[in-house]
Amino acid sequence: MATDLTLPQLSMSMTEGELAEWLVPDGALVTEGQAIYSIESEKSTQEVESPASGTLRQIGSAGETYNVGDKIGEIV
Amino acid sequence: MTDTIDAARPSTGANTLAGPLLVEIYRQIARIHEVDNAVRKGLASGKFRFTYWPLTGQEAIPAALAPLLTNDDYMVTTYRGLHDLVAKGVPLRGLFAEMLGRVDGVNKGKGGSPHVSHPAVGAMLTTGIVGAGVPIANGLALAAKMRGEGRVTIVNFGDGATSIGAVHEAMNLAGLWRLPIIFMCQNNQIGEYTLIPDYTASKDFAGRAEALGFRGVRLDGNDAIAFHSAMRDIVADVRAGNGPVFVEAVTLRLGSHAGIAESNHLSAEQRAAGLENWPVKRVRVLVLEQGAASEDELVAIEEKASEEVADAVNFALESPVTPATDMYVDVFAQLDFVPRRGHYPARADCSLPGGETRKMNLAEAIRDAQDVALGLDPAVLALGEDIGDPAGGVFKTTLGLSTKWGAERVRDTPIAEQAIIGAGMGAALAGMRPVAEIMFNDFVGVCLDQLTNHAAKQRFMSGGATSVPLTIRTIAAGGVGGLGAQHSQSLEAWLLHAPGIKVIYPSTPIEAKGLLLSAIFDDDPCLHIESMAIMHAIKEEVPLGDYRIPLGVAKVKREGSDITLITYGMFVHQCLAVAETLAAEGISAEVIDLRTLVPIDYERILASVSKTGRALVVHLATEFCGFGAEIATTINEELFRSLKAPASRLGADYVPIAYSREIETAQIPSQDRIIARVRALMKH
Repeated sequence: MATDLTLPQLSMSMTEGELAEWLVPDGALVTEGQAIYSIESEKSTQEVESPASGTLRQIGSAGETYNVGDKIGEIV
Repeated sequence: MTDTIDAARPSTGANTLAGPLLVEIYRQIARIHEVDNAVRKGLASGKFRFTYWPLTGQEAIPAALAPLLTNDDYMVTTYRGLHDLVAKGVPLRGLFAEMLGRVDGVNKGKGGSPHVSHPAVGAMLTTGIVGAGVPIANGLALAAKMRGEGRVTIVNFGDGATSIGAVHEAMNLAGLWRLPIIFMCQNNQIGEYTLIPDYTASKDFAGRAEALGFRGVRLDGNDAIAFHSAMRDIVADVRAGNGPVFVEAVTLRLGSHAGIAESNHLSAEQRAAGLENWPVKRVRVLVLEQGAASEDELVAIEEKASEEVADAVNFALESPVTPATDMYVDVFAQLDFVPRRGHYPARADCSLPGGETRKMNLAEAIRDAQDVALGLDPAVLALGEDIGDPAGGVFKTTLGLSTKWGAERVRDTPIAEQAIIGAGMGAALAGMRPVAEIMFNDFVGVCLDQLTNHAAKQRFMSGGATSVPLTIRTIAAGGVGGLGAQHSQSLEAWLLHAPGIKVIYPSTPIEAKGLLLSAIFDDDPCLHIESMAIMHAIKEEVPLGDYRIPLGVAKVKREGSDITLITYGMFVHQCLAVAETLAAEGISAEVIDLRTLVPIDYERILASVSKTGRALVVHLATEFCGFGAEIATTINEELFRSLKAPASRLGADYVPIAYSREIETAQIPSQDRIIARVRALMKH
């Protein structure tokens, strides 16, 4: 079963964030807990860990801004 | 910062614990840590969407305390209290489902992460308002003390909460009443985003307890062994009835104030030192050093915690989101008391009992109601400023009660409204039926958070797991004259706007007694507003003994056919007098006494106005945004086609109540002004 990657709400006031960088290439195998992308929001950059192990399918593009809750990828 | 923690370490004291006890503390830390991790992971992946206030760094405090408590001991915590809830034994499945707003949450998904309660394990309340749980915890401790149950109440709050007035009020009251309560100040050294010493000049917080006449201690909350050892003596001491203790448990918050973004309040060095001292690591090392468990055994404990949490997360994600159909449930004990557009239930009135009566004024009837209630149920108690004899209340509404029932059940309090309402609410949470007096209606402003954010919402926020059968009595003194802008208001609209609190506003001694008895034995918070202008003026034969006038039932006090005057409290008498005058000029006015404002009896209001075709709502409170506007609008919407004139309202002018008798007389509705408005409505 695929696990959706949706843009997380990292702080109380965050409504959107920039997908700063994919830290792992599309199609790569990732393990749960591995940092897979970084978000820039409210003047700070934070790496986000994979919620599951599997193959990363990137949907969102680095440099784009997304709303909290938008699907930016999945782990299949 | 680490210096502060080092300084807090007791220089003497136990350095070891029995092996199984230390392992048990670590097991609890591991569970808390797994919960923290799962929440972070869920939020980071976008799988969860809720606000999280991380407890990371503070795990050892409730973990080391847990072995000293049972499910009978009460616990109150704050939005940053997930560790407290886990250690107190809230089942993780219900806890995660609650954080995700699901039907299987311990509070049906209605409270959510900042408002968890689970009375089965003594987790009585989680507040989202800094410091506000502390006065409420006093009430839990008061109930336990009065019943002689030997329960201890732990109230958790952060160092930031020491700046708020409610905490000071509560500590003073607990010291005075020697309540069996432990003030657990989890000093994580940061108030939201502001570090000590940027928000206080205090060197420590424990000293504040000493200043209020009880014991305060400062402990290292990250040293599980020393903390547990010290708490063992403190819990035993408090349980034995030796009064409250304030514990400043020094720790360090490693997470942000809210959310899982990296915290930026600590320097790199502070953070590194904090991680070194993190109980999750520190206690694990201790267990191994002391040979209390092997590495394999610790791994097994961690895996078990991980499985428990994974199971809880899966359970929660599969549970349905609490549906909108559940919206009106748990606002009140009675579903049909919730005001709803188009929902106007018919409720039966009661007849008064026959038998013996005595002539009483309003004050005597209120006194008699409390006397009857105190006699009927040992759970009833009264508390408030000056309510004990010889004063017997500033308005003599409690005269003789403390002499008859004792100072334990009829309690004088400090001048501290937050402490009064908090203690009343907490005792009510524990199943008592307190009657708290707020001397003047104007003073609800001092305790509005306790009333509207806590007492009113607790049933809903707990999904019905808890309720607050608290009665608040208060005087509205407008119309008497000369009391000025801060002792004359009728503030029912403030409370009517806070879902979850019933508002009662009697007009006669007979009704005050019957309504107050209904309020005391109702299972929700009830505000009973007493009109000072008629406190001693009106006397009537009041039935002796117990009788109840049902809430939500208005009474037609005079029948008429041309206009309905809808009113309550002192203005019932004004409107009856007006009706007499109008009758002389051929206008037949019907007068409805609402008796209770929530629940409201729209059925009788609409039936009356259907008949008369005209309506005027009259009240003492400010007309602008007042309750009259609400009622008039409903009448206009429901009866638009049959009205002969638009329903209207008349209240006080939008001006603070003046000290000048001439201005006050001019600004509140008078018989002349009511008559003028009726005549104008008749001309439509």
